[in-house]
Formats: sequence, C-alpha cells, structure tokens
Amino acid sequence: MTNTKNIYKPIKAKLTEVIDESPLIKTFVLVPEEEFSFGTGQFIELSVDGIGEAPFTPSSSPHVTDKLEVTVMKTGYVTEIMHSLKPGVYMGVRGPFGRGYPVEVFYGKEVLILGGGCGLAPIRSLLYALEHVKDNLEKVILCYGSKTPSDCIYKPLFSRLNSIEKFEAYRTVDRVEEGWDGSVGVVTTLLNKIKINLMNSIAVVCGPPIMMKFGTIRLLEMGYKDDQIYLSMEKNMSCGLGKCGHCMMGEFFVCKDGPVFTYNELRNTPDIWK
Amino acid sequence: MKLTIDDLKKIRFFEGYSDKQLETILMMSSIKEFKVKDILFEQYDELSEVYVLLEGSLSLGISLAKEKRIHLGSIEEGQLFSWSAVFTPYISTAWVMAMAPAKVIAIDAKRLNNEIEKDCDFGFKTMSKIAQTISHRLSDTRFQLMNQMIL
Repeated sequence: MTNTKNIYKPIKAKLTEVIDESPLIKTFVLVPEEEFSFGTGQFIELSVDGIGEAPFTPSSSPHVTDKLEVTVMKTGYVTEIMHSLKPGVYMGVRGPFGRGYPVEVFYGKEVLILGGGCGLAPIRSLLYALEHVKDNLEKVILCYGSKTPSDCIYKPLFSRLNSIEKFEAYRTVDRVEEGWDGSVGVVTTLLNKIKINLMNSIAVVCGPPIMMKFGTIRLLEMGYKDDQIYLSMEKNMSCGLGKCGHCMMGEFFVCKDGPVFTYNELRNTPDIWK
Repeated sequence: MKLTIDDLKKIRFFEGYSDKQLETILMMSSIKEFKVKDILFEQYDELSEVYVLLEGSLSLGISLAKEKRIHLGSIEEGQLFSWSAVFTPYISTAWVMAMAPAKVIAIDAKRLNNEIEKDCDFGFKTMSKIAQTISHRLSDTRFQLMNQMIL
C-alpha cells in the first residue's frame, strides 16, 4: 500500500513539533498535506528539500491519519540537517513501503516484544496498534534496554503501558547513572523476569544488530520456534522501491520483502546480523 | 518466615525437583533479609552459601577498588547466585548489593554438595540448573562486551 500517487515524488508535510527524546534522538511531528496512512512496521522515506532523504519507520499510531511521528537518530549528514530543523518548515514524505507487522496473526496470542535503543520507534507504533486491538490479544510484554537511563526514548511510555490492562513493560540499562534504581544489564536479562506461555506466543525483536542477534538466540533457547519470531531488519535501505539493490540480504530486498521478516525466512540467509 | 515445599514450587529455579528433593533443600536452607545498599558479599570473598532471590532487587558487579563499583547486571526474583560456593576454590567472582529490601533463600553449600554426590538425580538437576545460570550470564556478558566494542 502506498499513499503517494507518484512513488518517486514526496508529499509535503509540515513539521509542527520537535521532541527531544535523548541527546541524539528527536521525534518529528508532521502533518502531511494529504491524508497519509501506513501499516505498523512499514517505513517511509523522509526528505529535506535539496539535502536528501532517509528511510524511517513511523513511531506513531497507524490509526491516526492526520499526523505522523517519525523518530530520528542523528547519525550522518541528512539526519544532522534534520535535527537542525525548527517547527514550521516542510519536509517530504514518500511511501509507505515494505511489509509491516501482521497484527492479525498476533490475535489470541501472548506478544513478547524485545527492543533496544532507537528500535523502540517502530515498536511504539506496533504497541499503539496492539492497544487498538487489545481485546483480541492475551497479553503484551515489552522488554526494553538502553545504554544509559538518559538514552531511553519515550520515557513516559513505560508507566502508561503498565497502566493498560494486559500490558506489561520492563526497562533495563547497560550502564547506571546517578539516581537509577532499576534493572541493570543487557535487555536479554529481562527475559528472566517475565512469565509467558511459549506455546501461544509471538516474539518481536527490534533494535541494533547485536541486540537482535543475542535476543533471537535467547528466544530460540527459551523454546520459541523460528516462525514465532518477527524481526524488523531495516538495513541499508535507500530507494525504498527494490531498485538500487543497497538493501539486498541474500535473496531478499529488505525494502520490498521486509523490513519485517520471520526468523524462519532469514535463518539460512548469511550475514543477517552485520 | 518459614518456607514450605509449596513456596519452593512457585520459584522458577526449583522447578523439576521432586517433593522429597525439595524437602531436602528446605532442611539445608534459611531465609536471610537485607536492607538497601547492604553488601551480601564482596568480589573475592570465600562463599559458604548458594542463594536464590525470593523478593526484592539485587545488583551484581565487579570492583576496580572498593570505592569504584561497576554494576554489571541485576539479579531477578527466582534467580540463583553465589554459585561459586559449590565449586573450588569457593571464591566469589563478583560482589552483590541489595538495590531494594531483599529476601533470599540461603542454601548451605557444603550440605548441598554432599547431597549432589549422594543423589545422582538431584545432583544432575542441580548442576544443570547452575550450568544454565552461568551459561546465561556468560551469554549476557558477551553481548555486553560486543556492545562496548561496537561503541
């Protein structure tokens, strides 16, 4: 599903708010000039006129169509320019592209979500989508890790999730800061805390490649089958159309065949964690 | 607080033991309570008890010096720690501190080792559980190391 009539031409979106999430991460609140919808887990190409574009997965609810939230980590030239933008300017949006999370497949199940760092951005969109259909779900558990307490994005999200029926949220940090009295350690340590029915569960993993690798290994050790684990791969995407080849991963184009895959689809693909 | 077999059955670490084996564990165990910031043991301390966290929150780490503690991870309810008490030279590889008021089951390591040698089934189950605890901790430590290397 794409909203843009010409898939090469972005639609204009007004930047209405910039939220500082952490020292390197901001969330941009955009109001597209045309109605824009996406499936949770799909991505867009966000552009700054005359500078360039980059792929991001929206972090807002897929059920809100009059505005779009995109969380951007400053990692290079385009994102550095994006971070300097102030409300009132216009950005470009192409898409949405790719295959998102099949939320209907999660119905009747206990959903375990393992997230790290900026990987919480697509996960937040998924959480909104799951909240919308929570009557169809058994349980949703979020386990999230960040490098330090300051690096955690969407800080109010955790107490909000813990106040929603059927939802649980746990946080951990790699390194403590003054005042932190929560869990310490990598995100996989949180899996020791949770109670989940493996036979009736789906796991979702999203975050840095190292975290996704160790997270997947731990889930398999716990007893999850390959087709129970969903991974958001988001690697090296560029054109978003399956044309440039940058995102090729074995036989797959991440931008067209993903970015959401089951581990079953990828287990024989080399170098998926690079 | 007096523990019962039914209490132990609710704790993940004790899953799989028979009632008779749980009774044996109860006879070599006691409950210990710790306040916030209490040090249960220091790195390099000689250990005589194996612990399972019942309630609360503990932090585990290593020290560069007594004043410079590096937190490596948390110990969650139901988890085993102080496993070094089972293996020579019975010296702790890390310190453990209470981050919230904590209650632990303290199991006499010498009596545990005697039972491991006497009852093969109990010994296999116990060593398997300890091995899994250490395996997870090693895997998490490698994850942390790779995280640091990437940074």
